[in-house]
Amino acid sequence: MIEEARYFETELAVIGSGIAGCAASIFALNKKITTAQVGNTGAVAYTTGYLDLLGKLEGDKGAIDNPWDAITALKDRCPDHPLNGISAADIRAAFNEFTAFLGECGIAYSSPGDSNITALSPAGTLKKTLCVPATMAAGPKAFAAKTACVIVDFKGLKGFSGKQVVANLHKQWPTLKAERIVFPEMLSGEIYPEVMARALEVEKTREALAESIKAVAGNAKVIGLPAVLGMHNPDFIKTELERLTGFEIFEIPTMPPSVPGIRLRELFEQVFPEKGIILIPQQKVSSLTFDDDSATLSLTDNHGPITIKAKAVILATGRFLSGGLEAHITGINESLLNLPVTQPAKRDDWYFEQYTDSRGHAIHKAGIEIDDSFRPIGEDGRPYHERLFAAGIILAHQDWIRSRSGAGIAIATAYKAVEAVDNFLHA
Amino acid sequence: MSDQKTTTLNFKELAMELLPEGASFEACLTCGLCSSGCPASGLENMDPRKFIRMALLGMDEELSTTPWIWCCTQCKRCQHVCPMNIDISQLVFIARGNWPQEKKPSGIVRSCELIRSTDSTSAMGLPPEDFIFVVDDVLKEVRETQTGFEKLEAPMDKPGTHFFVNQNSREPMSEPDEMVPLWKIFDMVGADWTYSSKGWAAENFCMFSGDDDAWYKVIKTRVDAVNKLGCKVWLNTECGHSYYTMWNGIHKFNMDVNFKLESLVTYYAQWIREGKLPVNSDWNVNNIKFTVQDPCMIVRKAYGDSIADDMRFVVKKLVGEENFIDMQPNRSANYCCGGGGGFLQAGMTDHRRAYGKRKFDQIAATKAAYVLTPCHNCHSQMEDIGHFYGGDYGVVHFWTLICLSLGILGENERTYLGPDLLALLD
Amino acid sequence: MVSPCVLKSSGAGVQTLETEVLIIGGGVTGAGIMRDLALRGIQTLLVDKQDLCAGASGGNHGLLHSGGRYVSNDQHAAIECRIENEILKRLAPQCVEETGGLFVAVKGDDMAFADTFPGLCQTAGIQVEELSPAEALAVEPHLSKDLIKAYRVPDATIDPFRLALENVAHARAFNDSVYQPHTQIVGFITKNGLITEAVCRNNKTNATIHIRAKQFVNAGGAWAMNIAQLAGCTDVHLSYSKGTLLISHDRMADHVVNRLRPPADGDILVPGGTVSVLGTTSIRTEELDSVIPTVAEIDRNVIEGSAMIPALATARYIRAFSRVRPLLQGAGAGDDREATRGFALLNHTTQGLENFCTITGGKLTTFRQMAQKTSDLVATRMGNTTGCQTKTIPLPKDDACRWTEPGAAPRYWYKENNPEDMILCECEMVPQSAIDEIIKCAPDTDEEMTLEAIALRSRAGKGPCQGSFCGIRIASYLYDCGYYQDETGLIHMKDFFNERFKGMRTVIWGQQAAQMELAEALHCGLLGLDTLDND
Repeated sequence: MIEEARYFETELAVIGSGIAGCAASIFALNKKITTAQVGNTGAVAYTTGYLDLLGKLEGDKGAIDNPWDAITALKDRCPDHPLNGISAADIRAAFNEFTAFLGECGIAYSSPGDSNITALSPAGTLKKTLCVPATMAAGPKAFAAKTACVIVDFKGLKGFSGKQVVANLHKQWPTLKAERIVFPEMLSGEIYPEVMARALEVEKTREALAESIKAVAGNAKVIGLPAVLGMHNPDFIKTELERLTGFEIFEIPTMPPSVPGIRLRELFEQVFPEKGIILIPQQKVSSLTFDDDSATLSLTDNHGPITIKAKAVILATGRFLSGGLEAHITGINESLLNLPVTQPAKRDDWYFEQYTDSRGHAIHKAGIEIDDSFRPIGEDGRPYHERLFAAGIILAHQDWIRSRSGAGIAIATAYKAVEAVDNFLHA
Repeated sequence: MSDQKTTTLNFKELAMELLPEGASFEACLTCGLCSSGCPASGLENMDPRKFIRMALLGMDEELSTTPWIWCCTQCKRCQHVCPMNIDISQLVFIARGNWPQEKKPSGIVRSCELIRSTDSTSAMGLPPEDFIFVVDDVLKEVRETQTGFEKLEAPMDKPGTHFFVNQNSREPMSEPDEMVPLWKIFDMVGADWTYSSKGWAAENFCMFSGDDDAWYKVIKTRVDAVNKLGCKVWLNTECGHSYYTMWNGIHKFNMDVNFKLESLVTYYAQWIREGKLPVNSDWNVNNIKFTVQDPCMIVRKAYGDSIADDMRFVVKKLVGEENFIDMQPNRSANYCCGGGGGFLQAGMTDHRRAYGKRKFDQIAATKAAYVLTPCHNCHSQMEDIGHFYGGDYGVVHFWTLICLSLGILGENERTYLGPDLLALLD
Repeated sequence: MVSPCVLKSSGAGVQTLETEVLIIGGGVTGAGIMRDLALRGIQTLLVDKQDLCAGASGGNHGLLHSGGRYVSNDQHAAIECRIENEILKRLAPQCVEETGGLFVAVKGDDMAFADTFPGLCQTAGIQVEELSPAEALAVEPHLSKDLIKAYRVPDATIDPFRLALENVAHARAFNDSVYQPHTQIVGFITKNGLITEAVCRNNKTNATIHIRAKQFVNAGGAWAMNIAQLAGCTDVHLSYSKGTLLISHDRMADHVVNRLRPPADGDILVPGGTVSVLGTTSIRTEELDSVIPTVAEIDRNVIEGSAMIPALATARYIRAFSRVRPLLQGAGAGDDREATRGFALLNHTTQGLENFCTITGGKLTTFRQMAQKTSDLVATRMGNTTGCQTKTIPLPKDDACRWTEPGAAPRYWYKENNPEDMILCECEMVPQSAIDEIIKCAPDTDEEMTLEAIALRSRAGKGPCQGSFCGIRIASYLYDCGYYQDETGLIHMKDFFNERFKGMRTVIWGQQAAQMELAEALHCGLLGLDTLDND
C-alpha cells in the first residue's frame, strides 16, 4: 500500500506530555518558539489538580507553611536539588505564567501566594500546596474558617466517602457533616467521577443535582463534592451549580481514575493544536538523534511513521510511571538516550525498610544530571549535546513525592529549560 | 437456541502472544482509567479493567462467553487513555470470532453473509446489476429535473480513473437521492472518478463478527476491483469502518496493494483550500449551531488528529467559525457513540442506548442543532439516541451541507434537514 | 466465653477466660489441633500473638508434597508426605489444587542423581512417571529448552490460609471452640506440677488476659522454644533457618516444578492460583520476628529459578516474603533443608509439668498428622477416648473462609451478576459482599478488623497493585458503613500499606517500579500517610 511518511520541522521539540512537558510547551508558546510536543499522555491523568511547590522537607514530619523560606533551607539540606539554582522570582513567574494559561483555557487557579494553602484530601487528611484550582478553592477557605459544611458523596462512587472525610476532620472542624445522594439518572451500579463530570456539562443534569444537594444541605453554607464538576469547563460548571443551589461549592480530589488529571490532559490536547503546537499525543519517541544543525525524532503512530526535525529538544519524560526512567533488576537507566543516571550503589539501597519512612526513599532521588543551562550530562561528564535540554522529575537529587513538589519542579525547571533553549536559539 | 458450546480461549496466553512486551495485560496498573472513560463500562456488569483482570485470573470460560464483547465497539479509547498503552480490542475481536456462528448476534452474521453473497460486497445484498441500475436511474432523473446538472456524471467501471469511490449500501438501497450531492461535488471539483460494479460497497460486518477469513475475502474482492480498474486512489465515502476495515485489513493480511487509501474528508478540506469547492457560511444567517462527531474508525483508530482537524476546517468553512461548537472530548480522545462495532446490528437495543447515553450528553452539552459526521453508523446511532433520550438535534452528512452551502442541494436531497434549515432554502 | 461471630468490646483491666484446652499458636498445626480436639468433644481456645498463619504456615510455597522431594534423603518423611497428601486431597479438596508435580533436570545437573529418582519414589510408594523432554515441554511450555530429564509425581498445592481458617471455622461450628488473635503469652502460673493459667497480653490493646485451662498446648512453631521456656521447660532445642520466596504476577507453570537435584536455592516453583511462588533460599538466623527478604536472596532465587523456567528472569514479580523454619536441633550436619523435616512432640513430664506439651518442626503437608499426635496426648491426659476423626471426616466448607482462594471471589461475583455489589479490590476482584461476610463471620474476635486482617482472609491486596488502591477503597467503604469511625482507620491504611510494602521492597523493578511510584504519590503525596503521628 502506498503511504506517506509525515514530517515536521520546528524550533523546539518537547518529549513528554506531563506537567513539565506541557509547561515547557506553554512557555515556548509565550516566547513564540515553534514547538512540537510528543509523548505518552497517560500519567498526567493521575494528577490531583493541586499544584505543589514544596510541602514538606525530606526527613521532616511536619508540613511547610512557607515554601519560599523552605526553598532557602533546601540549599543546605539538598545542595543539588534542581530548585536550588532557580530564583524565587523565576519560580513565581513560572507558576504565574502556567496558571494564567490554564485560566485562559477554562481552568482558573489561585495565584502563587506567599504561603502554602492547607488543602483537603479524600481521606480527610490535609495537604500543603501552593495553587489550587478555582473549583477546589472554597474547601481550604471553609476549613480555615470552620464554616458549616456538608460533604456530599454519591451512591456507587467507590473510594470516596464523605463519612471518612468527616471522621478524620470533625475534631478540627465540628460543623462538618456528610450526606449521600444518588447522582441524577445514575441510580444503580458503579459510577466513575469522569462519567459524572461529563454528565454535569449538561444543564438538565446540573439542575437535577442542584435539587438533590439542596435537599440534604441542611444549615450548611458550603458544599464539598468529590471532584466531578465538569470536564472541559469546570469553572463554569462550578459557578452554575453555585447559582442553582445558592451555596458555595468546592471539590475534593479523588483517587484514580479521577477527574482533575483528565481535565488537564484534555485541555492540553484541545488547546495546544489550536495555538499552533504540533501535538502528537499518546506516542512514545522511538529514537532521538543529533547532527550539527538539528535533532531528529522518530516515532510511529497508528497511521505510520512520523519524523520531527527540531533545533532543540527538551527531555521531560518523567520517571518510572511515565517511562523516562527504567528500573531493572541490575539498576536504573534512562530510556531514550541511555543518559547516565545518578542512583544508589545497589538495589538494596533503593528503599528503606519502612514504606512510610519520613526520610523518603533513595530511588526517588535517582535521575539525570544537568548543567547550569539545563543540558543533561553525558557519559563523559560534559553536556550530552548542545541541542538537548531536560526538565521535570527525571532530574536527579529531588524526591517530588515526599517533598510535595512535583508541580513545582516540573513548572520551574521547564521555565528555565525553555529560557535556556530561547537563549540557545537566539544567541 | 443452538446447543453448540463456545470453545474456551486462553486470554492470558493470547494477550502475551499478540500484544507488545510492556503493553500487554501483565503491564496493567489496574488504575481504572480505561473503565472510567469507556461507555461500555457497567454493561453486562463488565468493563475493560475487569476484562484484563479476568484474563489474568484465568476466567477464560466467562470471558469466552460474556455477551459484553458485543457491547464493546472495539473503539480503542481504553488504549488511548491507558498510560501503559494496553490494547484490549484485539482480544475482544478474537473472542467475537470464537463464538459459535449460531450464537453470534444474528444481525451481524446475516450482514456478513449478505456481503459475501454478491460481488458487490454489500451488507444489504444489493447485487452489482441492481447497483448499476439504481445509479443510472437516479442519474437520469437528476439530469432531467435539475437545472445545471444536465451533464452530471456517475461513471461506472471506468478504467484508469484517479479515484475509485465506494458507496455505503444504505443510499442505493433505501435513499438513492442521497448519492446525488456527492456526484455534484465531484462534478464541481472536476474529479476523475468512478464507481465499480464489483466491491463497491462500504460496509464490512465480517470484521465485526470476528471472522478473519470472511474479512479477508471481502477486502480481497475490493482490492481486486480497484486493481482491475487501475485506479490510483481508493476513496472512502462518508463511512468510518469501511476505511478501517480496508486499511487495517490490508496491513493485517499483508496484502499487495498498488494504490493509496484516502478519505473523502481529506479531499473536502483540500478542495476547499484549493478553491475548487467555494463553500461559505453566508447562508447561516440565523447562526444555527453545529458540532461534529469524530468517527473512531478514521480518527483514533487510523489517521489520528489530522483528519479530525480537516473535518473541523471543513465544518467551520461551511457553518461559520462562531457557529461551530466542538464536542468534548474530541478528535482522538472522542467517545464512540455506540453505533460502531456492529452494535447497531447486534439487536442489543437497551445496551446500545445505555452506551449511547454518554454521547447523547456530550451532544446535549454543545447545545448544537446539528451533528455532522462522516460515518453512517455514527449517523444512525446519534439519530436513534436523539429520539430515545428526547434530544432535538439533527444529524447531517457533510455532502448535504456542502451542497446546501453551494446552493445546489436538490429538493429530494434534504431528508436530514430540519425545519430551520429547510426554511433557509425556501 | 466470647461468641465468635459477634464483635465484642474487650473492655479495660484484667480479663479471665476459661477453656478446656489452650492452644498457643495459630499456624496450621494449632488450627489442626483445635479441630481435632473439637471432633473429640473437647473445647479449646486458640490464641496467636498476631493472626492465623503469621509464621511459617503462611510463609511457604503452599506445596502439598507427594513425598518426591524427600525420597533421596529421608524415606520416612517421604512416606509420611505421601500418606498425608492422599488424605488431604480426599478430605479437604477445597484447599487443594491437584496440579501434579514435575521433577526436572537441566543440562549440567547431576545425571546420576536424576537416574536414582524413580526407584526411590517407588520404594516410598509414590507414583512416578517419566516424561520425555518433549512431553514435559508440551505440558509446561515455559520449561527450559535445556531440559534433559523429567518425572511426574502427584505433588499438589494447598492454600494454608484457607486450611487454617476452615479448621478454625469447623472447630467453632462443632463445639464453640474459640480463636482469638493478637493474644501473646507472657507467662504461666504453675501449681503442683500443673499449669493453671496462662498470662497473656492483647497486642492491640495491651490489656492483660488470664486464661485458665486443663491442658496447655504449645504449637508456637519457630517460637515454641521461647514459649516453653516461659513455662520453665528447657527441653525444646531449636535452631532457625530463614527462607525467602517470591511471587510472580503470572502463573508461570501449571505443575509444581521441582529441580531434580539435591535440595538447593530457588529450585521449586509452585502455582498459587493465578500466581507462582518461587523459592527458596536457606540461611541460618537468630532473628525470629522481623525477618525480611534481602535483595541477594531474591536475585539468587531468580537466577536459580530461571535455569528451570527461563521466563522467570524477565517476569514481573509482585511480592517476596521470608519466614523462619524451626529446625529440631541435633538433627545432623549439612544443609538445613536435610534431615530436619521431622517434627517433635514433647510432653514435658521430665520438666515437671503434667498438662503441657510442645509440638514443633514438621511441614505443612504433615500438619494433620502432627495435630493428631498432639491431640492423642492431650486427649489421653484428659481421659478422653474418642480417638482421632480427622482421617475420615471431611473438612467442611465455610462460606466466610472461601475468599482466600484465587479466582473464587470473581467467579462468585460474576455469577451473582449484581451491579450493586461493587468490586473493591480490582486486581483480585474482591467484591463488597466478600468484605461484609469476612467482617461479620470470618474467624476473628477483634472489635475492629484491620485491613491486614481482612486481607489475610481474602485475596484483597494480593494482585499487582498490592493493595495500593484497594486499601483506600476498602477503608473508605468501612468508614462508609460506620465500621471505622475515627483516625484509627487511617492508621489501619498506613499499617496495611507498610505491611504490603515489606513484601514488595526487594522486587520493585520493571513494571512494579511504575506501580509503586503511583502508589507512593497517592499514599504520601496526596493522603500524607507518611506524616501520620502514630509511631
